Amino acid sequence: MKTTTLLLTILLMGEFAGAEISVKKVTGELSVNFMDQKLWSQALPDETIGLLAQPVVVPKPTKTETQKINVAAIHDGKWIVFRVRWNDAEMSEANKLATFSDAVALQFPVKNNDVPPPIMMGGKGDPVHLFHWKYQYQLDAKFGKKPINEIYPNMTTDMYPMEFKEKGNYKEATKDQRDSFVGGTAAGNPQSFPKSGVDEIFAEGFGSSAVSDSHLAKGYGEWKKGAWTVWIARPLSYDNGSKLLVGKGSHVAFAVWQGGKKEIGALKSLTMMWTPFFIQEK
Amino acid sequence: MAKVKNWQISREMEYPYDENRPKKQWSIVFDLNKCIACQTCSLACKTTWTSGKGQEYMFWNNVETKPYGSYPLAWDVRVLERLGHQEWEKKQPYYGKTIFEAAENHERAAHFAPEDKDWMYPNHGEDDCAGRVDKGDYISLQHDKWFFYLPRTCAHCTYPACLAACPRKAIYKRQEDGIVLIDQSRCKGYGECVKACPYKKSMYNAHTRISEKCIGCYPFVEQGYQPQCVTNCIGKIRIMGFINPPWKARENNPVDYLVHKTGLALPYYPQLGLEPNIYYIPPIHADREYLTQMFGPNVDQSISTYKKLKDDPVAQGLLVLMGCTDRIIHHFEVRSGIAYAFDEKGDEIVHVPVTEQMYSRPAFDEKFGTSRNNTP
Repeated sequence: MKTTTLLLTILLMGEFAGAEISVKKVTGELSVNFMDQKLWSQALPDETIGLLAQPVVVPKPTKTETQKINVAAIHDGKWIVFRVRWNDAEMSEANKLATFSDAVALQFPVKNNDVPPPIMMGGKGDPVHLFHWKYQYQLDAKFGKKPINEIYPNMTTDMYPMEFKEKGNYKEATKDQRDSFVGGTAAGNPQSFPKSGVDEIFAEGFGSSAVSDSHLAKGYGEWKKGAWTVWIARPLSYDNGSKLLVGKGSHVAFAVWQGGKKEIGALKSLTMMWTPFFIQEK
Repeated sequence: MAKVKNWQISREMEYPYDENRPKKQWSIVFDLNKCIACQTCSLACKTTWTSGKGQEYMFWNNVETKPYGSYPLAWDVRVLERLGHQEWEKKQPYYGKTIFEAAENHERAAHFAPEDKDWMYPNHGEDDCAGRVDKGDYISLQHDKWFFYLPRTCAHCTYPACLAACPRKAIYKRQEDGIVLIDQSRCKGYGECVKACPYKKSMYNAHTRISEKCIGCYPFVEQGYQPQCVTNCIGKIRIMGFINPPWKARENNPVDYLVHKTGLALPYYPQLGLEPNIYYIPPIHADREYLTQMFGPNVDQSISTYKKLKDDPVAQGLLVLMGCTDRIIHHFEVRSGIAYAFDEKGDEIVHVPVTEQMYSRPAFDEKFGTSRNNTP
């Protein structure tokens, strides 16, 4: 069953097969100016890459919400930026229950083998390095993480544990003491902390993703007239991650989530084949 | 998909993981003839576990009125609707579909996805009678105008839908006591568990951005104490213990006695296929058809057994032991009109008379020179 699915997807991807991204070198400080129009005007035209509803892991989307993504990339010898574009009828943010954010992720192999890792988030001993941009993370970075009384202004509370309105003779509780009543925060779950825009994630197979402590990558997205444009900038080389070298090639894979269509986690459109790219010396 | 044994539906069924029964299984029995919906259990739980940020709307324990109440809105009706009409003949295994068997190929379990608004009406339908009380109506048995209260916690199912649905395997079932937990460090807030659980006891926390659920009061259970919702119950309608599957049932284990030995306590919506571990003694005056769709075809038997309780001193003794100790009762004994509760080591925890002793006092108190008031 799995082989048939894979074969079918490869056949379907045939329409967009042969996409290869050439990454031109530009002169500029891409770690800061990763959206600079003048620098981007030097990029080669976008490659169009086909996406498919995630076909292997339950829960699977019932249809491919995002059918293709346009990609271009540039580098400055130290940082590389990918610009991706896809159609999405509406901007979606999370926060409220059962709402989900628009998002895109880039996946790179960690080991620079001739054969890249299994496409579905890598494999045991063959990890992938993911750069996950979410519109909600961008809002966090801009406006701060919304407190619950702003998300649901009419939610009733009389008091939170150890947050006394009038503490009288009680000693003020420490932040750690108060946080012990908040599950995700006390467990140090990255989801429970304000985000910066792009998560760096490592995985060795689906279901195993873990958010990295590294926060070097930057990202920004703009939605206009039914389409997202997202720039994701990252250092070319990570000591313990994806190592991209000038004059060498590697592979990249993409996944897109349309939050308005309740896409999250395994409910996504993705590339079932790696797209090769080459980092030009000039 | 693996084939696992589900004793509540008397057959094997499909489940994504192999059968792996825990060493001990946390379970609670509720006597619905006694629940008054005082909501002390809900507040005991909330004060202990869900008074933090993002948990404001959460009731890991809730009490809803049947038939018209529900929290979240219409959880039972909507999952049954999704499952479709199924049949269960008396004295037969359940040959209809479970939610795993009814799942389409893109999902783990047949389910519906609640919206945030669905959680905001926990008292919806409270005390709403199943029919209008009109002029000239009088009480008859069975009541033709009826309602009852249904207190519910997470059932720490043997075959949890939440655990099956999580694509990250962030939910696990403890071997030592069968309690099902969402790993707060691994959850990424996808909400698949919230969608999959038919009883809707997995809940999303908008502050931490991950999901949470009833933890079975495991810190208490580990110390040999019953959960907060059980010990704080004013009506003493609950008892928590460790249930055995029927082929290992131990007659002097309180939960085994009520579920397996007497058949008094029944699982709710067993046809969904999760083998839930909370059990209910049905309210004897409520509509039988309604009770049967909720508790299965053994309702009539359970109710006739309950009505004959006056002939069963052991069952009487056990019901009287409920709410008399906050410690988990390993085994119990009833002799000479006294019910005894013992711990694992065999030491007595508590003993209570099955019938309250009658004390007569004279109307005039000689010592204080005053009359006693017969104030009810």
